[in-house]
Amino acid sequence: MGEAVALVLALGVLAWGAAALDARLGGAGGWGAPFREAARLVVQRRRRTPLADTVLVRVGVVGLPLAALLAAVVLPVGGAAVLDLGVGVVWFNAMEVCVWGAVWLVGWGVNSAYPLVGGYRFVAQGLAYELPHMFALISVALGAGSLRMADVVAAQRGVWFAVWMPVAFAVYLVSAAAMAFWGPFGQAVGRDVAGGVPAELAGADRLVFLAGRYALLVVVGAAAVPLFLGGGAGPWLPGWAWAGIKTAAVVAGLVLAGHRVPVVRVDRFVAFAWVVLIPLTLAQLLVVAIVVLP
Amino acid sequence: MGLRGWLLRQAAVRPRVLVACCPYGTRARLLVEAELDRRGWPVASAPAEAGLLVVCGAPGAEMRQAVQGVWEAMVEPRALVEPASAVSREEVAAALNDAVETLARGGTPRTGPPPAPPAADMDLPGGVPMAGRGPDRDGLTLDRLHVPLGPVLADWPAGLVVDTVLQGDVIQEAVVRALPPGEHGTPFWAEPGRGAAARLDGLGRLLGVAGWPWAAREARRLRDRLLAVADGGGGRGGEVAGEFRGFARRVRGSVVLRCMLRGVGVVGGGGPERARGDVLDRAYRWVEEAEDAIGGPGRPGVPDRLPDRLPDRWPDRLPDGLLGGLLAGADLAQARLIVASVDPDLERVAVRRG
Repeated sequence: MGEAVALVLALGVLAWGAAALDARLGGAGGWGAPFREAARLVVQRRRRTPLADTVLVRVGVVGLPLAALLAAVVLPVGGAAVLDLGVGVVWFNAMEVCVWGAVWLVGWGVNSAYPLVGGYRFVAQGLAYELPHMFALISVALGAGSLRMADVVAAQRGVWFAVWMPVAFAVYLVSAAAMAFWGPFGQAVGRDVAGGVPAELAGADRLVFLAGRYALLVVVGAAAVPLFLGGGAGPWLPGWAWAGIKTAAVVAGLVLAGHRVPVVRVDRFVAFAWVVLIPLTLAQLLVVAIVVLP
Repeated sequence: MGLRGWLLRQAAVRPRVLVACCPYGTRARLLVEAELDRRGWPVASAPAEAGLLVVCGAPGAEMRQAVQGVWEAMVEPRALVEPASAVSREEVAAALNDAVETLARGGTPRTGPPPAPPAADMDLPGGVPMAGRGPDRDGLTLDRLHVPLGPVLADWPAGLVVDTVLQGDVIQEAVVRALPPGEHGTPFWAEPGRGAAARLDGLGRLLGVAGWPWAAREARRLRDRLLAVADGGGGRGGEVAGEFRGFARRVRGSVVLRCMLRGVGVVGGGGPERARGDVLDRAYRWVEEAEDAIGGPGRPGVPDRLPDRLPDRWPDRLPDGLLGGLLAGADLAQARLIVASVDPDLERVAVRRG
């Protein structure tokens, strides 16, 4: 129970930090900016588009933060995970895939052209990043000889996976940004389609959607720590502090990339993912398999 | 009411702003954009997101209708600011301050009855015409949606409308037209000494559509500083030239930008000379032209007052045929890039017409 509370608190603080850094880089205020935006959305009325499928939209809006939270429960935050599953890596991946459904439901349900286009874009993007992402995760599981997150962390006592599986790590970071439809992979919420999927959301709906997106960004960033960066391992400080510092660094890097890199269009990303990323991750998988052969 | 009032005041400090620009409202738009950037107010890309609507210049009849639609689509609390084309910097600041106060008090209330719920009808469910169907480029039968692009859209040329028929996110047909302006005036970018700033204004839109927030903001800032130098208002040309070189290096150096813009919206040898090549060629050409005007590397003697010998980009008429041809068959993302890279200046077009 205590771990669950700690997890939610840590998620909230880090998501707040990510939103504040995002606002600061965009020149729109500092640490108070997420609070002001939340206040604005709390007092703002909700909005209904003609013939919207309200139930589907609500399911999608609530599904986004829920999927992020459920993906987070298998992450060992310093010590033990809230849910120490034997198939933690698979669970994490499955929860991320629920994000596809949530985003698509919002984009389709509001019955408006731009959100629909945003929904199409995200589903197509899923086709691009999901396979490389899964091969990167399989490399990790193969290297550790286990699908349990705690075993993955334990397997990195000597050398971090990021060091001897650099390709898998790089591909993971790309797919992490793509999964949170963030920055260069944020075409689903692109400025060119008036904000895409959440374009028609206002008030509480928008607040939950945006909070869910920042939470998702933090969760996919946080998962890089046990998967590739040795979990809570580090000198002097306790495990949770190291996990927090590493997570903050990964998330800050993702936020910064969002401002400094142009958007990658989905049609070109699909080609790049299938022609370049998948062969690369397969080669990585082969190398890992040869190294861990008994 | 105490908590709600406090939240309203907190939220009003930094409203999200949707900017709609009418032809001949460019001057007002530049003042508004500079003021928003100074205050750190985020710019919205959709009505639902925005709390403040800023209409720059005088709208014509159709533009007024579009603005009205956007205003109705905005949710409370909301406020409206309408700077005239001849507005001053101080007036813009004062109007934005007033908007903050209006929003802190709960915004401009709705006048008149709420829109009536649409009647049930088999052919018009909810009063909305059903999208027809037709074969798409892959031979599938898909819904055809009639979606107008513009005139109120982030990073969109003022007064332009493209009526599209969409299937999925692919444009099947596109009709390009210019809205009749609500006033007549002098085209802002036709003044001497503003050519480089005009290129940077276009680059700001193009880089914004390309989803590169840092570069888009930098282009707008350099544009404003160049205009200040050209108007003798302040700053030294040499300093701006130095910063521009850094910006140009970053834009040319971006591998992702190159990969994304290459091969989009190709205009062949038969097209107008200034539009030849793809979106990337046109973007690089603007960077180069601005560099020539400002004084790039190896161009000695940067003067404080910038010489500007740049020719007009679209001297005579709306390139509607060219644009329509490029847009048909493009997806929405490509279409936005194409429009931003052609970037017709309807202030000049309207003058030649009228």
